[in-house]
Amino acid sequence: MLIELKDIYKIYAEGLESEVRALDGVSLDIDRGEFVAIVGQSGSGKSTMMNVLGCLDIPTRGEYLLDGVDVKELSDKELSHIRNKQIGFIFQQYNLVQNLNVLENVELPLIYQGIGIEKRREMALEALEKVGLENRVKHRPTEMSGGQQQRVAIARAIATRPPIIMADEPTGALDSHTGQDVLKFLQQLNKDGSTVILITHDNGIAATARRVVRLADGKKTEDCEQEVDWL
Amino acid sequence: MKIGQALKMALKSILGNKGRSALTMLGIIIGIASVMTIVSTISGMNKKSMEMMAAMGTNKITVSASYNNGRDAFQDLYDYCQKLSDYVDGVTPNSQFSATVVYGAKNSAKMGGSSGMGYYGGGMMVASEGGSGSENTEMPPTLYFGSDQYAICNNFKIAKGRDITLLDIQDYKQVCVLGARAAQTFFNYVDPVGKTMQVNGLPYTVIGVYKEKDPDSKWSMDNIIVFPYTVKRMLAPSTTLTEFSVKAKSSDAAVEATSRIISFLTGLMGQNREKGYFSAQSENQWQQSSNDYATMMSLVMGGIAAISLLVGGIGIMNIMLVTVTERTREIGIRRAIGAERGSIVTQFLIEAAMICGIGGIIGIAIGTLGTRIAGRLLVQMNIWPSLGITLGAFALSVALGILFGIYPAAKASKLQPVEALRAE
Repeated sequence: MLIELKDIYKIYAEGLESEVRALDGVSLDIDRGEFVAIVGQSGSGKSTMMNVLGCLDIPTRGEYLLDGVDVKELSDKELSHIRNKQIGFIFQQYNLVQNLNVLENVELPLIYQGIGIEKRREMALEALEKVGLENRVKHRPTEMSGGQQQRVAIARAIATRPPIIMADEPTGALDSHTGQDVLKFLQQLNKDGSTVILITHDNGIAATARRVVRLADGKKTEDCEQEVDWL
Repeated sequence: MKIGQALKMALKSILGNKGRSALTMLGIIIGIASVMTIVSTISGMNKKSMEMMAAMGTNKITVSASYNNGRDAFQDLYDYCQKLSDYVDGVTPNSQFSATVVYGAKNSAKMGGSSGMGYYGGGMMVASEGGSGSENTEMPPTLYFGSDQYAICNNFKIAKGRDITLLDIQDYKQVCVLGARAAQTFFNYVDPVGKTMQVNGLPYTVIGVYKEKDPDSKWSMDNIIVFPYTVKRMLAPSTTLTEFSVKAKSSDAAVEATSRIISFLTGLMGQNREKGYFSAQSENQWQQSSNDYATMMSLVMGGIAAISLLVGGIGIMNIMLVTVTERTREIGIRRAIGAERGSIVTQFLIEAAMICGIGGIIGIAIGTLGTRIAGRLLVQMNIWPSLGITLGAFALSVALGILFGIYPAAKASKLQPVEALRAE
């Protein structure tokens, strides 16, 4: 099992009147090569789920085993390494560094891996080729459309060839046509062997995933396999 | 992350916000420039004054002595110094006097400004030629009464003719020796030896010219005329010779000679100086104290200027804190894709150090210019900042960047990725 969540709680202001249970005892297993959509309304806890799964946040209680390793036992440095090598993030707001150009943005995670300039450039260009942006490497994010920026973000996510891709509302800021392209790309990545976790509030988008996990009020309400809309 | 990569990234981020980077640098630029200017000017002045003292002659003992009854003390000192020949090379009065010197159309009374050495700032010697700076202004020469040992005592060599002799002194000969600059002023390219000048209306024959000590300098040590001290009774009957120079054979000899002269003068003037006043000080001591004084001045003035550096450093910290807040999201992104805390710290520290380093380089350039200008305007000297001061200023600016960058960098690295990503 790649990901094992056992009775995970994420509680803010615990014990106070303003206590919020963003995750309220969720258990979930995700295997290698799965395409899972985590679906829920705003406030359902799906973003918290993504933060916990992505090692961006530590659960209040419960056990999270990533590839058999208990995340709670890891130091900040080790968590950084996991985010860098195991997980590729795709965010709703693209989250590109504005003062770096396309190539430099894609190279960034490789820089943190300490990969030398030539190898790094080669890997970054390969990733950009996959998203069809190999001709725009010198552009700044601000000079590109939303769809293109999201493709840069995807290239950055796959540049390190991580086993897990986490996409948080990746189509949220895009028009439906460009959004479809992004989803198609995620399906392709999954076909190529990556484990893809897609966070969304939109059932239509969730339909692209083979497995749907539904959250409401921090609890898992549904976990099912489904027919996939291949794009 | 490799350091070269970190430097490149920092430069990019600095250039990405040029206006702010420039304003941040301003404090460091002003601080470094003022520290450089002050420290370099003072140390340059001190170096120059040491060179001057060396030119005037090292191992000199300055003696002041005067009897209450108005009698000249020189003959006593002269006779005593002849007995100290193991320690002493020569002794001379070193008294200035004023008189009108005329040769042809040249008249010292009509020459501009006042000439001669002034003493300034506790021992730093400066030319008191005024601020006009015009090369062509003729300055009246400084007139001295000297003995036959004037040249030895003041490190002069005869270039033309001959020096004053004991016979000139004993016979009250109306002769004089010119410094190179005075010779040029009065005679231009004509050989002065054998010519007669009018001094307060009396004829004085030029018997020799001293070799120029410092051709590049505007110092007036070459703008002198020396007369046998015995002609004082014609030229300045009312003045008393009170200032004397004794030239010792070595710096050790200077110490010994100074103490012997003090004992001798104590004998003459009395234990409680009831018969007159005297003092004797070796110039080596005086040089040392002048050196110490210059160092202290540098420290005090440099310290005051360093306060502006401190303010500049606080400015850096302030701006870096704003930068961290503004770039919270970027920090979140970097953390999310795998940057360790250390990488974030390094990034912000390098940015701060680089801003300060660039500011430091600009400050050094301005400080060098400032030193040149201050040297010219204040003391008519050609001063360059030393390599040590320049490197020190650069190191100081980078160190300030690191020092004041630590807090913002630490703050940036402590941000939780998930919270940083939430920032707008």
